[in-house]
Amino acid sequence: MKTKNKEDLKENRLEKATWKERYSHWPWYRRYEFLLFSFLALIALGFALPRPGLPGTLFHWLFIVFYLLLFLVWAGLILTDVEKPNWIKAIAATLILFLFGWLFYRYSGAQWDKLGYVFFNFKVLSETGSYGSTVTGWTELFRGLLITLQIAIFSAIFGTILGLLLAVFRSLNDPILNAFIIIWVDFFRAIPIIVLMMIIYYALPYLNIKLSSTMSGILALSLNSSAYISEIFRAGIESIHHNQVEAARSLGLTTMQTMRLVILPQAMRTVMPPLTSNYVAMLKDTAICSSIAIMELLKTAITLQAWKANPTPLVAATIIYLIILLPLARISTIMENRMKARGVTRTVRRQPKAA
Amino acid sequence: MGEERQVMIETIDLHKYFKDQHVLKGISVKIYKGEVVAIIGPSGAGKSTFLRCINRLEEPSSGKIYIEGVDITSPRVDMNKIRSRIGFVFQSYNLFPHLTAIENIKLAPVHVRKIPEKEAEQKGLELLKKVGLEDKAHAYPDQLSGGQQQRVAIARALAMQPHMIFFDEPTSALDPEMIREVLDVMQNLAAEGMTMIVVSHELGFIREAATRVLVLADGCVIEEGPPRQLFNNPQHPRTKEFLSKIL
Repeated sequence: MKTKNKEDLKENRLEKATWKERYSHWPWYRRYEFLLFSFLALIALGFALPRPGLPGTLFHWLFIVFYLLLFLVWAGLILTDVEKPNWIKAIAATLILFLFGWLFYRYSGAQWDKLGYVFFNFKVLSETGSYGSTVTGWTELFRGLLITLQIAIFSAIFGTILGLLLAVFRSLNDPILNAFIIIWVDFFRAIPIIVLMMIIYYALPYLNIKLSSTMSGILALSLNSSAYISEIFRAGIESIHHNQVEAARSLGLTTMQTMRLVILPQAMRTVMPPLTSNYVAMLKDTAICSSIAIMELLKTAITLQAWKANPTPLVAATIIYLIILLPLARISTIMENRMKARGVTRTVRRQPKAA
Repeated sequence: MGEERQVMIETIDLHKYFKDQHVLKGISVKIYKGEVVAIIGPSGAGKSTFLRCINRLEEPSSGKIYIEGVDITSPRVDMNKIRSRIGFVFQSYNLFPHLTAIENIKLAPVHVRKIPEKEAEQKGLELLKKVGLEDKAHAYPDQLSGGQQQRVAIARALAMQPHMIFFDEPTSALDPEMIREVLDVMQNLAAEGMTMIVVSHELGFIREAATRVLVLADGCVIEEGPPRQLFNNPQHPRTKEFLSKIL
């Protein structure tokens, strides 16, 4: 191996250097031997920590904090080292999180058993539900979820149709029409959904417009989301280069055909990610419907909580919301990343510079 | 050539302002059926604006434009119908990026002319064959080279069976080796007797295919004539200056 010119030697050394050769130039605090040894020492020191429960003296406090800092320095040595592989860094980070949790569990003096009994007492949901009910709390929550989904889906449909229409009319650039649309969008973006919902449900009946509570909820959410969705579509429509319109018009397509066949299909690429995250936000906003006595998921949970005199139903509702919303939020992020990587190229990349 | 010549386009004292900028200063031309008119001139002379005014992609500020005898500056005229008889080929191709080549071509025939989908598809394939791209029918624009995209754009314009085609610097965004393939297609069209207006500085193409050359400078037609005569013996000093720069 000690022949040939310098170039070869350089390449060879990287590939054929032994494990020891590769790390031999590292200072002591970066070496795996040291890190492993110090970790074992820290574990040993852990046995000297004070007994569980709230620490008695200032010395005990200082010792715990010192121990935590030592562990942080140890993990910091690994996490700040660019040459350490990622899986080792992941282990170090997990250990730190675990240590924080363990120290809190050990020394906070928290009443874990009581917390569990009050907030995580899922037995109350297995009994029959609220007053006059013949089904269990779980079934009631599930029915609430169905109503939540029903409101969300109808609001999404109406909101999208309305928002799309607003955006298309906006693109006609008629000054009078635009003024109305801008007022509409600004108004429904500014007014809190809960206020809007209460106006529709409690005030409109005096104008002889009587809507059921579910209808009121759907209407309020649709109006609110129509404002946001129209802005999303407008941004999508405006992102399409004007020469696409010229090409379509020069072929004899009408304004509406151009919109339907050329602009909107291209705009969908940019519109889909923010639209999805808007749907996610709206599914969450259905919880506001509990304020006008719609028995959707949150209202059901609140009723059960009052009847059982126990907040566990709220915790269960939270878990149900998370189970549904987490994947949706994930999907919208994935779509957004995919659009960033691919979507923009189709519309923008091929525009040559004007001569 | 002997028969009576039909006027396809006539502009009378055409003016165009962009805010306070006077871009076209009274252009009056007549273009006859079967003519291939090349428009040359320094940049900023208003060549593209003139072309875009004729099918009202830009609104002319004043003056009259007659297309096949119809005054298209009158507000009562159905511009979409007129435009569907005028092919327009852009410098930046402007293909629809969400559609394949064949879908680009059949979009307008299906939705404007209401030709059945299958018939339009067949016609589209014939046109692709004509521009030498029958194997690229299902490729998206961003999978095609610039020259191929421009040829699809020409086929798209032809699919509407236009009575005339305008070319707005069709080759100036192309790499040199792709210019030839586009010019060949245009030359074939000219040979078939299509009425064409071409804004271009491809002098070789103009010499061979054009029947007349208009020189635009500062919004005016300063000189016109058959290409050979105009190139060999320019009269106007600005034409001489311009030609000396590009020849």
